[in-house]
Amino acid sequence: MLKYTAKRLLQSLVTLFIIATIVFSLMRLMPIEGYFQNFDKLDQNQIQAALKSMGLLDPLPVQLKNFYIQILHGDFGKSLIFRPNVPCLEIIGDKAPVSILMGLASIAIALVLGLPLGIAMARGKSKFWDKFGTAFIVFITAVPAAVYYLLIQLYCTDWFGVPILFSTDDPSSWILPTVSLALPNIAYYAMWLRRYMVDELNKDYIKLARAKGVSSKNIMKNHVFRNAFVPMVQYLPTSILYTVAGSIYIESLYSVPGMGGLLVNVIQRQDNNMVQALVLIYSAVGIVGLLLGDLLMRAMDPRISFTKEGGAR
Amino acid sequence: MEPNIILSVKDLEVKFSLRGKTLNAIRGVSLDLFEGESLAIVGESGSGKSVFVKTFMGLLDVNGTITGGSILYNGQDLAKFKTEKEWLTVRGREIAMVLQDPMTSLNPLKTIGYQICEAIELHQNLHGPAAKETAIQILEDVGISDPERRMKQYPHEFSGGMRQRVVIAIAVACRPKILICDEPTTALDVTIQAQILSLLKQLKDKYHLTTVYITHDLGVVAGVADRVAVMYAGDIVEIGTCEEVFYSPRHPYTWALLSSLPQLGTKGEELFSIPGTPPNLFAEIRGDAFAPRNPYALKIDYVKRPPYFTVSPTHKARTWLLDPRAPKVDPPEVIGKLRKGGFGSV
Repeated sequence: MLKYTAKRLLQSLVTLFIIATIVFSLMRLMPIEGYFQNFDKLDQNQIQAALKSMGLLDPLPVQLKNFYIQILHGDFGKSLIFRPNVPCLEIIGDKAPVSILMGLASIAIALVLGLPLGIAMARGKSKFWDKFGTAFIVFITAVPAAVYYLLIQLYCTDWFGVPILFSTDDPSSWILPTVSLALPNIAYYAMWLRRYMVDELNKDYIKLARAKGVSSKNIMKNHVFRNAFVPMVQYLPTSILYTVAGSIYIESLYSVPGMGGLLVNVIQRQDNNMVQALVLIYSAVGIVGLLLGDLLMRAMDPRISFTKEGGAR
Repeated sequence: MEPNIILSVKDLEVKFSLRGKTLNAIRGVSLDLFEGESLAIVGESGSGKSVFVKTFMGLLDVNGTITGGSILYNGQDLAKFKTEKEWLTVRGREIAMVLQDPMTSLNPLKTIGYQICEAIELHQNLHGPAAKETAIQILEDVGISDPERRMKQYPHEFSGGMRQRVVIAIAVACRPKILICDEPTTALDVTIQAQILSLLKQLKDKYHLTTVYITHDLGVVAGVADRVAVMYAGDIVEIGTCEEVFYSPRHPYTWALLSSLPQLGTKGEELFSIPGTPPNLFAEIRGDAFAPRNPYALKIDYVKRPPYFTVSPTHKARTWLLDPRAPKVDPPEVIGKLRKGGFGSV
C-alpha cells in the first residue's frame, strides 16, 4: 500500500509540474495588456520598465525558474486588474469558503438521495423506483442544466417563499442553490450505482451466495452494494472536488459570491496572474481527485495490489 | 435393506416465459433420490438438467415457474414454496450447491475466510472465533494446505482447482444433506478434474452427503455415480444404476449418447454424432421427443408419449421399444463394445 501510494503521489507531482510549466508558458504568449491596469495611458518606455520590474523580460528559463520558486513558496503573484495588488490567493481565499460549503452541502444531499435511489432502482428492476429514477436521470442528462436551474429559481422561490438571491446570513437562501447543485450529482450517483449493482447481481458469486442460503437483503448489503461501490469510489473524489470548486451557473444565477465565475471573469478582464493561479489550482484539484480516487479504490479492491509494475489503473 | 427416499419429485413441470412465448423446460419429470446415494444426471446442453436441480433450491430465474408436480422433501412440498423465507430454510442448510465455474463463483472482494464463515454462521450457529476454527477445519478437509494463512486471502490468489475446492468447502460448510454439483469439473483441466472428483467422493463419505451430479461428461459419471438419469428435452428418458445404463441401455437416446463417446484405440473411424437437433421446447411436443432423431422410431413414437417401462427394479426407460408389442431391435454394435472397453475416461 505504501509503495503504491508513494508511486501514485510521485506521478501526480510530475503531472502537476508539467501542467505548471505548460500554463506558465502559455501565459507568456498572452498579450502584455494583461499585466497593466491602464495600458492605454502608458508609453512604450513605461511599459518596458514595468515589464522589466516584473521580471518578464528575463530569458524564459530564468522566468520559469523564478516561477517554480514562487509557487513552491506558495506565492501565486498579485492580481493585476481584477483587484490590483491583492495577492491572488487572498482573492481566491475570500471566495472559496462559500463555494466549498455549498458544494459540501450539495454533495451530502446527492449522496443521501442518489445512493438510495440507485439501490432502489437496482433492487426493483423495471418497477416503480427504476422507472421513476430513469425518468429523472434522463431529464437531468438530456435537459441542459441552465434550463432546470432557471425553472427552479423561477418557480420554487414563489412556491416556497425563499429569497431569489443568495445572502450568507439568510439560511433559507442556501436551499435552492444547494439543491440545484445537487441535482446532477443525484442523477449520476443513482445511475452509476444502479448500473454497477445490476452488473454485480448477474454474477455467479451472487448465485453461490444465494445457494448457500444468504438472504436477499444481506446479498444486497454485503456483496452487491459493497462490490458495486468500488468502481464508484474511483470517481467520487473528482466529482466532489469539482462540485466544491463552484458552479458558474448556480453562482451567477443566485449571485453567490463564490469562485465559480471567477475564472471566466478574470479571463475576460485579462488578469494574467489570476488566470495563471486559478488554472493551476483547478488542475491541482483535478489531479488530487484522480489520486484520491485511485487510492480509495486501491484500499477497497484487494486485486489492485497485485497488479504488476505500471499496472495501476 | 430398502434405502430411504430423501427427496421425491413427482411429475414436475417447469415453464419459462421468454419474449411472450412459453418454453417447456421440464416436462413432467419424476425422480426419487435415495439417502446416501450418488446420482448423476446426464444430457446434452439445454436438456433441462440444471433447471431441474435448481427447482430443489428455488433458484430458478425470475421468468421460470413450477407449473405442476411436487418436490417432496422432509414432509414439505418444495414446489409450493413461494417466499424467500421458506426457501432460506432449505438453501444451504438442507441442500447445497457447487457451481460450474470456480473462477467466477467467489466474491472477488471478500476473503475466502469471510465467504466460508458466512455459510457457517448461517447454518451451524457458530460465530466469531468458533466459526473461524470450523472454517479452517473444512479448508483442511478439502485439501487446502496452510488453511490459516489461506483464510485471509482473496479468490484471485487461488488457482482454478483451488478455488473449486473453496467453493466445495463453502457448500460443505453449510452442512447440507444433499449436495448438488452442477458440472463441477467442466471448467477445470483434466488432471484437476480427477482430484476434485475424488475429493467430492471423500467428502460424501465424511459428511454423509447425498450427491447429485449434473454433467455431460460420461467419464465423470462412471467415476462417481451409483445411478444415472439420462435427460433429453426436459424429461428423464432412462434411469438406472451405472452398470445398467452403461452396459445394457434401453433407450435409443442413451444408445446415441454412448455411441458418441470417442473410443481409445480405434483409429480412422469417424466420431459418431446424433443427427438433427434437440426439439424446440417452445412448441408442444407430441409423442416421444427423441423420435425425429431416432433411427429406430416407431409410428407410435410420433403420436403418443411413451410411459416408463420397467427393465429391472432399478432400471426404467421411456421408450416404446420396450413394449411387448414392439419389434425386436438390437442396440447398435458399439454399445456391446463398450462393455469390453470400459469407461475409464473420455
